[in-house]
Amino acid sequence: MRAAVVQVATGAARIGVIAVMAFAVFGPLANLALWAFAERWYTPHALPISWSLRWWEIVFRPTGDAMASLLTSVWIALLTVIVALLLSIPAGYALARLKLPFRTLIMVLFLLPQAFPSVSIYINVARVFYALGLAGTIPAVVLVHATHGLVYSVWIATAAFAAVDRDTELAARDLGASHFHAFLTITLPQAAPGITASAIFVFLESLDEFTGTFFVGVPQVTTLPLLLYNAGMGGNYQIASITALILLVPSIAFMLLVERFLGADVLSRIGR
Amino acid sequence: MRSLFASTLTVAVAAAGFAQPASADTVLNVVTAGDVNMVDYVKDYLGPMFEKTHPGVKVVSVGTGPGDAGSQTIYEKLSAQKAAGSTSWDFDVLVIHQKMAGKMVQEGFLEKYRDTVATAKMFTRDSARNSLGTNVEGFVLPMFHSQTAIAYNPDLVKDVPNSYSELADWVKKHPKQFGWNGIKGGMSGVAFAVGWVTAFGGKAEQLVAGPYDKGVETAWDGPLASLKDFNKNVVITPGNAGTLDQLNRGEIAMGPVWVDMFYSWMADGKLPPNLKVKLIDPGMPGQPMYYAVPVGSPQKQLAEQFIALATSPDVQAKGIVERFNWYPGIDADNLKGKVVDAAWAKLFGDIPPATLAKNGQSFPITPYFNDILEAYERKVAN
Amino acid sequence: MSRSSALALLFVAPALALVAVFFFHPLALSVISAFMAEGHGPTFANFARAAELYSGDIIHTIFVVTSATLLTLVVAIAISGALTLSASPGFVAALKFVYRWPLFVPFIVAAQCMRTFLARNGLMNNAFVALGVFDPMTTSSYLDWRGMVITFAWKQVPFVTLLIAGAMASLDRATIEAGRDLGASRLRVLVELVIPQVMPTLLVAATLSFVLMLSVLSVPMMVAGSQPTLITVDMAFRINAYGDYGTANALGVISYLIASGAAIFYLRHTLKDDGR
Repeated sequence: MRAAVVQVATGAARIGVIAVMAFAVFGPLANLALWAFAERWYTPHALPISWSLRWWEIVFRPTGDAMASLLTSVWIALLTVIVALLLSIPAGYALARLKLPFRTLIMVLFLLPQAFPSVSIYINVARVFYALGLAGTIPAVVLVHATHGLVYSVWIATAAFAAVDRDTELAARDLGASHFHAFLTITLPQAAPGITASAIFVFLESLDEFTGTFFVGVPQVTTLPLLLYNAGMGGNYQIASITALILLVPSIAFMLLVERFLGADVLSRIGR
Repeated sequence: MRSLFASTLTVAVAAAGFAQPASADTVLNVVTAGDVNMVDYVKDYLGPMFEKTHPGVKVVSVGTGPGDAGSQTIYEKLSAQKAAGSTSWDFDVLVIHQKMAGKMVQEGFLEKYRDTVATAKMFTRDSARNSLGTNVEGFVLPMFHSQTAIAYNPDLVKDVPNSYSELADWVKKHPKQFGWNGIKGGMSGVAFAVGWVTAFGGKAEQLVAGPYDKGVETAWDGPLASLKDFNKNVVITPGNAGTLDQLNRGEIAMGPVWVDMFYSWMADGKLPPNLKVKLIDPGMPGQPMYYAVPVGSPQKQLAEQFIALATSPDVQAKGIVERFNWYPGIDADNLKGKVVDAAWAKLFGDIPPATLAKNGQSFPITPYFNDILEAYERKVAN
Repeated sequence: MSRSSALALLFVAPALALVAVFFFHPLALSVISAFMAEGHGPTFANFARAAELYSGDIIHTIFVVTSATLLTLVVAIAISGALTLSASPGFVAALKFVYRWPLFVPFIVAAQCMRTFLARNGLMNNAFVALGVFDPMTTSSYLDWRGMVITFAWKQVPFVTLLIAGAMASLDRATIEAGRDLGASRLRVLVELVIPQVMPTLLVAATLSFVLMLSVLSVPMMVAGSQPTLITVDMAFRINAYGDYGTANALGVISYLIASGAAIFYLRHTLKDDGR
């Protein structure tokens, strides 16, 4: 009898925990969804007074360029992933497997671009690109995004390589495979899920970036987050909410997928 | 997995191809230091109108966000380009704020174009020639004028204050019912603080017209101390939009706003329709947004033609006044008969022309302006 | 230097080169400008001004970011602990489904959500009032430091949980079971057995979160009033209002010093694992 009471109580507590979590997580997102469809919403009404798709029509109107900006954003994000992976696969392998002097310092160097408040950096970044004659091009935006995303791709790739079993690789080499061949056939495939996960992080970092895009891309290259940024700063809630919702689609999709690629063995090694 | 990736890539490549504008067009790049609605004004209204009369030209409109931050961003981009030695700059038409217009003229960023534009004679206001103490004559033309005022909810505010001193008393009686955004969250807060210092520190004429005298600053000690005191009973909101936002939810009953933003928010269903604005004594600042052409613009002639169109009486009437309820950039008498009565009545309903003329101030000249802000940071904020 | 470490450096070099050209070079220019007076050569005046005007905000920044990091860690540890130690598969599945949603939500979207959610008459308080938890007259706004801490934590908890729960899952179950068999409560097992073993991951997650939050502009801009505010807002204001890059960059350097504090913390605790 007492055991039954305890069981019911624990069950209730569990449901309570989930309910609180759900409110904390979905409450703020619900707010976004409400604003995206609110036509009129003001005091004293706790919920929108009237609903409409008017703002969706405005965002996607023929003269607007939301759709084109979205495609540019996705395209830039894909290219950024390619650049980041090309750089971080060798770097991650070296950081995980080879004898590297100043290893921790190098790890920190990749973290630093995330750390400096970007406001005053980007004017100098823009200067570099104007000098190179690359400003206003997609490659310029890709390079800036890749610099920013490297911390994720390098750190996660390092963890992924560190998690690969050394013995199979050594066994392959014993059987006469070359270093490179062993890497391609044994190590890389085993690290692939982790590297895919790092690609997801880089993709989303790039998809949501706006300060760097503005300085090195605009006006020739415009992306959707620029619209979100302007609308958000200006308090244009409907447009900000709609653009945010569009950008959230890939974020949510990848959020649901990411753990498939990130096993505990990799997660426990990130940043180490 | 691999094939999925490959097909995504193919789609993206194809899509990116579509996303590029047709390269045969001559492109006129217009950059606006403003909110989405100002960017869209060029994108949806001015741009297509201009393209119709200029076949083969494509107007591209981009925004850098509202407030001085938006203008600063434009400046940074152009100065990076200038420092790198580019001769063909990214922008052809700029829509910028006063402070930046002065700075850009001083640093030689802007083209003198006024004489080539036929509408130039329709601007007689001082702000078309003088921007916060810098002579900008010839370099800029106002797109529209904007004014700050106090927005209030008549259901909650029965005894509407008529002046800054009445407002100070009202706030004492109704703590946490007035909200403003300090000076770091946007220009409506800056305008409120400047208005306060002018109201209680005097020398309004000298602040706006000069000459500059560092000693004037001592007169602000009293006003800033009382402003610090005043802040104890108010809500500090997050930005221009934050003040409107809290009016939206009824969290505050009163707060300083830009009149144009106020009407935009109301039109967008984000403010109760019964809210009103009032321009209190002895006045609050307003400012124009300027059209300017950078010296590095590759399409100067088109840029000038674009500005001529944008400042023509018809566009000012239909676009600026009727569409947005903004005060026109050109002198209002040029719009007689062109604006429908309802729009005119709305524009001057809460703030009659006489009040606007009497209480619509300019911001102080730049050195005083900076001194006021820094004195506020030193004595009120830190 | 041995041949193998030369090879290793060669592998890392392209990635480092990218960071050097597009980050450290512009960073160096910013840092130099922090020590320069306009047209007058080297000076500490920018730092003096930063200290005079923004000392309050600097302390406030450290306070807000530290609080947010701590809140993030506490919540993330609680969730990962529950995921690792709970006996109910249903509960674990539900929790796993719920906690991750904000994982990839950008800061600016989080700020956009929160500024209307946490307001006095915002969705959260309205929901509480509707449920009868709060009286409408006593609700208060969270749009101050609390709003920033909540927004930061809301956004960072899923990422940190992902890392910590991953580290916990890779632990040896046998020690945990042994602890449970000896009659230790779940909380005790978590605190005494599990957390010490995942400490390195905890530090990595804390460093990354701390450093990230320090550089965010949109959250303090949109969620909280400007008195006091965070360094990023002051930097933007210095540039936008006065065109004063010197002081802005001095604030940037100060912000960077705070971040290096965190980085040194990270270095000190990972150095012993070095040279794998």
